[in-house]
Parts: sequence; C-alpha cells; structure tokens
Amino acid sequence: MSFLQILTLLAAGAGYTLLVTLACIATGLAVGLLVAMLSRVRSRPLQFLLGSFTYVFRGVPVLVLLFLVFFGLPGIGIRVPPLGAMMLSLGLIAGAYLAEVFRGALDAIDQNEIVAAEAMGMSRLQILLSIEVPQMLRFSVPGMLNEFTTVLKYSPFAYTVGIPDIMKQAMALAATTLRGLEIYLAIGLLYFAIYKLILVAVRALERRFRVPGLTPP
Amino acid sequence: MSGWLSFLHDALDYWPQILAGLGNTVLLAVIITVTGLIGGVFVFYLTLSPNRLYRRVTEGYISFFIGTPLIVLLFLMYYGLPQWGLRLSPLTVSVIGFTMNVAAYNARYLMTAYNGLDHGELEAARAQGFSGLQVFRFVTLPQVLRMSIPGLTNQTILNLKDSSIVFLIQYTEFFAQMQDLAARNFQYFKTYLVAGIVYLLLVSIIVIAARQLERRFVMPGTRA
Amino acid sequence: MALLEVRNLVKEYDGKTVLAGVDLDLEEGQVKVVMGPSGCGKSTLLRCLNRLIDPTSGQVIFRGEDVTRPDTDVRALRQRIGFVFQHFALYRHLTALENVTLGLRKLRHMPAREANEKAMHELRRMNMHEHADKYPAQLSGGQKQRVAIARALAMDPAVLFFDEPTSALDPLMSREIVAVINQLYLDNVTMLCVTHDLFLAKYISDRVLFLDEGRVRAEGGADQMFSDHDDPRIRAFFGHGPQDR
Repeated sequence: MSFLQILTLLAAGAGYTLLVTLACIATGLAVGLLVAMLSRVRSRPLQFLLGSFTYVFRGVPVLVLLFLVFFGLPGIGIRVPPLGAMMLSLGLIAGAYLAEVFRGALDAIDQNEIVAAEAMGMSRLQILLSIEVPQMLRFSVPGMLNEFTTVLKYSPFAYTVGIPDIMKQAMALAATTLRGLEIYLAIGLLYFAIYKLILVAVRALERRFRVPGLTPP
Repeated sequence: MSGWLSFLHDALDYWPQILAGLGNTVLLAVIITVTGLIGGVFVFYLTLSPNRLYRRVTEGYISFFIGTPLIVLLFLMYYGLPQWGLRLSPLTVSVIGFTMNVAAYNARYLMTAYNGLDHGELEAARAQGFSGLQVFRFVTLPQVLRMSIPGLTNQTILNLKDSSIVFLIQYTEFFAQMQDLAARNFQYFKTYLVAGIVYLLLVSIIVIAARQLERRFVMPGTRA
Repeated sequence: MALLEVRNLVKEYDGKTVLAGVDLDLEEGQVKVVMGPSGCGKSTLLRCLNRLIDPTSGQVIFRGEDVTRPDTDVRALRQRIGFVFQHFALYRHLTALENVTLGLRKLRHMPAREANEKAMHELRRMNMHEHADKYPAQLSGGQKQRVAIARALAMDPAVLFFDEPTSALDPLMSREIVAVINQLYLDNVTMLCVTHDLFLAKYISDRVLFLDEGRVRAEGGADQMFSDHDDPRIRAFFGHGPQDR
C-alpha cells in the first residue's frame, strides 16, 4: 500500500471523525443550554429531574452508554443508527457536563444588571436573550473548550459501532500493513492536529467577541 | 418481569467472573489514581522550573496528552509495540497509558490552583532562606493540593469511568465481563443497563468520600 | 395633579415592617430627595414605586392611575420610570452606546439607525459621546453613572429615580453627578432621589424628606432640615449640618 493511499484513507476517516465530533458537540450544546436555562425555572420536580439527568449522565462511562443505546435499545424495539447512537451517548454526556458549565456561568452574572433590566421594563425572555445568554456564553469559553476536547477524544469509540472514522481506518491499515506502531503514532498526531484546530477556532471566536473587563466576578 | 428473572439467574451463574471483573476495574482505577497523582505532581514541579527548555517540553507534554485520545495511546502500545518485539500485558499497558494521560490532566489542575496562589507567600518563604525544593514541598504543594481537591476528585471519577475502555485491549475488567454475559444471554439492554447502574453506584461512593475529604482538608477562608 | 402620589404605603418582609405607611407627593418638574439612615427603607420605597418589589398595602398613584392594582401592566409602568442605580448596573457585555440603545431597540422596537441617533443625542447631553464605543470596564465611576443616566433618559421617562447615585463615587465624581442632575432640573425633568449623601441633597433639591424606621419623620426645605432641627433623631443624623466637602 502506497503512502498516498494511506493518507487518503486517513483523510476520509478524519472527515467522519469531524462529523461525529461536531454532531456530538451540537447535541451537547443544545442539551446543555436547555438544561441550564430550565435550571432557572422555579419548580421542584423539574429541578429534581434536571439534577438527576446531570448526575446520571456524568456518572456513566461513554462506552457503556453507547453500547446500551446501540446494542441494547434494539432489544426493546428501538433501532438507532450509529451516528444517532453517538449523539445519544457522547452527545448527551457532553450536554450534562456543559449544563454544569453554563449553570456556573449564569450564576456568575452580576444580579444588579438583571435588576436594571427589569427596572427598564424588559420581559424575562428579553433579559435572558439580551443580557444573560451573551454574558454566559463568554464566561463559558474555557469550560466549553474543555468539553469540546473531551468529545473529540472520545470520538474514536465511533469505530465500535461501525463508523469508518480515523480509528477504524487505522485499525484496518494496521492489520494489512502490520505497521501498527507508525500508524497509531501518525493518528495520534492527526488527533492532536484536530485538537489544535478546534483550539484555534475557539480562540479566534473568543477574540472576535471579547469584551474588555468582562470576567466572572 | 420473567425477563428480569432469567437475567438474574444468568447473572448469578456468571457471578464469579463479574466479581473478578469488578475487582480488576477497581484495581486499575486505584492504581492509576495514585500513579496519576504522583505523576501529576512531578509534571507540575517541572512546569515551575526556572529552565525554559524544561518548561517548554513539559507544557508540550501536557498539551499533547490533553489533545490526544487515550485509546490511541493504548493501541499504540498494545498492538504497535510487539512489532519491535515488546509485548506488554494489558494491565501494564493500561497503567502506563493512563498514568501519562492522567498526570497531564492533574498537572493542569495543579497549575490552575498555583496561579490562584498568593505569590507573596512564596517570596516570603524564599526570603526566610528556604530552598526552591523546600518552598515547593512545604508551601506550594500543600496549598495547591488542597485547592485542587474538586478537580482531582473529578479526575478520579473519570479514571473509574474511563477504565471501561481497556477491554478494547483485552483487559478483562467489569465491562468486559458484562459483555460476555450479554453475549451469552442475548439480553443486551438489561445487561448494559445494570452495568451503567453499577458504575453510577461506584461514582457515588467516590463523590461521598470526596465530600468527607473536602470537609477535612479545605483551608478556612479559601474557596476550594 | 401630582405626577406621583403615594398613600399609606406598607411593606413587610417575613413579619418585619420595612415601610410603615409612607405618604409622598411628587409634582411634575420637581426634584425631591429622600434621606435617612441605612435600613430606613429608602431603597425599598423606590423599588415599591416601580413594582420591582410588591408593596404589602397602600396606593401608588402614577398620573392618576393606581399602579399597585394587580392588573397593572408592570413592564409598561417601568418603561415610564427611569432608574439609576448605586452601582451603575451597566450591561458589561455592551458598549456605552449599546447600553443606551438596548431599551430603544428591544422595548420601543426602534430601527437601529434611529436608536443610535437618539442614543448619541442622550450621550452628548451627558457629555459622554466621545466614549460611546467604550465598554463599562473602560470607564470611570462618574462616567459609568453618566452613561446609566443617558440610558434612563433615552426612554423619555416621566420621572427619573436615583438610588444612592453617588455613594459608590469619590467626591470629585459626585460633583459631576450633582452638575448633571441640576442640568436635568433646568430641562424640567422630574426626579426622585434616595441618598444619604448630604452634599448631593443640599445641592440638588429644596425639598427633603426624612425617612426613619419606615415612616416619613419630617419633610421640609433643605436648609431647614440641615440646620438645627427640633427632632433629636434628625439632628443626630445630620450632625452639625452638612459641611462642604
């Protein structure tokens, strides 16, 4: 097998790795934002539910949940496609962690500003969208970056449910070339490059939206 | 209901293996938590080195292990190294791989805590005549460790959960045994559900223990 | 008719009486100062008037309409009352200009261009137009308070409330605020100001109301209150009369 062929295969795998990572990040962001915002609603049953969700999904290993969704759910009549299974396991777990990040950021917002917005006559929803969310997102950048990195690092589990990502390609290549050492070293660097890419993208976004002096108190 | 009864029956039949698997999981989690902490303190110490080269190399180390999937490292050692005639047992590979990875994370928690430290104190210790290593041992480390308890606790929980991936390199821990059980009784849903609940219980034990630890060691007047 | 008539306003928190029947009148174009020791209920009084806090009983009549009724449109009421806070409460993620335009755009649904023009006008009035693109963290305390006043004025409120507007400021910056309030008085803006800053009270108003233990203990001209008052508690509060700083 030529070097070029190897590169092509790994590049195709990288596409799937990015797809899985982005799909799980998107799931996590949606779930995390929803949970964090619902945590502002004063309702004991709802808070118990949200608390249980974050506790359970932060306490179960990604692989166990992935297997439960992909191999377990068909047993009770629910078939989930591979990417969907990744989103329902890795994505939801990321959502639970991100919910905590967002909740902490919401708590860091200066209450005086909320009162000022109320005194102006703004509605709860207007306050949430114009004051709380923009500040919360800025406060959450380090936590989000952490979680995005974690998602990327767990994305290789996608191979266990048959998604032809970097890991799967690497295993196939290692089996045919018998050069596992070089191949796993190469994909280690490939993952590191993707990590750096995410880092640069998030940093650029952060710089674009940076506000002088806006740090959590 | 009858499904659960037959599941219970199979699980009881398979009980010795499950218990052995659980033992292996706990063994691995405990070892890597300890070695990861020791490694983390060592890496953290190197990040404080006055030597610029040391610092750069250490920062590169931390960044690389935080940015690379652990599973790749484990595969590299377990499936790649025999190419050079180096055959390591699954446990050895797991311990080495996890230790390098966890040490990087722990070092980062410690660095964050260090940045929040009152650096006047360190200056005072130096002014008193303590050597660099003495300042580290008697002033920096005790404070930084206490301030990092929440981060280190999280890492311990992650260690336990992430130990479930080593069945991919043939280490027969708890999750591997549960998969064997599922392959026998074909009750995948129930088996994996129970596996998830067991991990949740183990995590809860760590959470409760950490709370006790925090209450004992948190310095008055500081927010951990 | 008075712009604001407060009748027998009571506020209780967990059985503790904070306001024990306050009466107050505010005429159009008037500047009135409410003074009193900390914990006397000054801030609670202001917050009851725009319903940030719901009073336990009593009436607040705003331009002839009782706004303590349950069917009052609270948000519409608040839009007619400009509120200036002790700690400025500028939105930290928005520039000075955006702080002023936010209400115009979200509450008045003004197009961006028109809102910017209106906001620049108010900032110019506060002599802050050169700082329009700065963020709150880049402004001094006095500058922040002037942006906060511009933010309140932009909504064309019927009245401006000030809650201890100078107590987070140094004396020099306090003077800036005094000058601003006096300029607004000349522009016929109605204002109600809660403060324990004697300097501020003396130089912005001729009517001072003394609140103590949830009640209006005295009301009168500033000079009359600050000089030897018959009431020993008022005398104690004002000491030997305000000294110029």
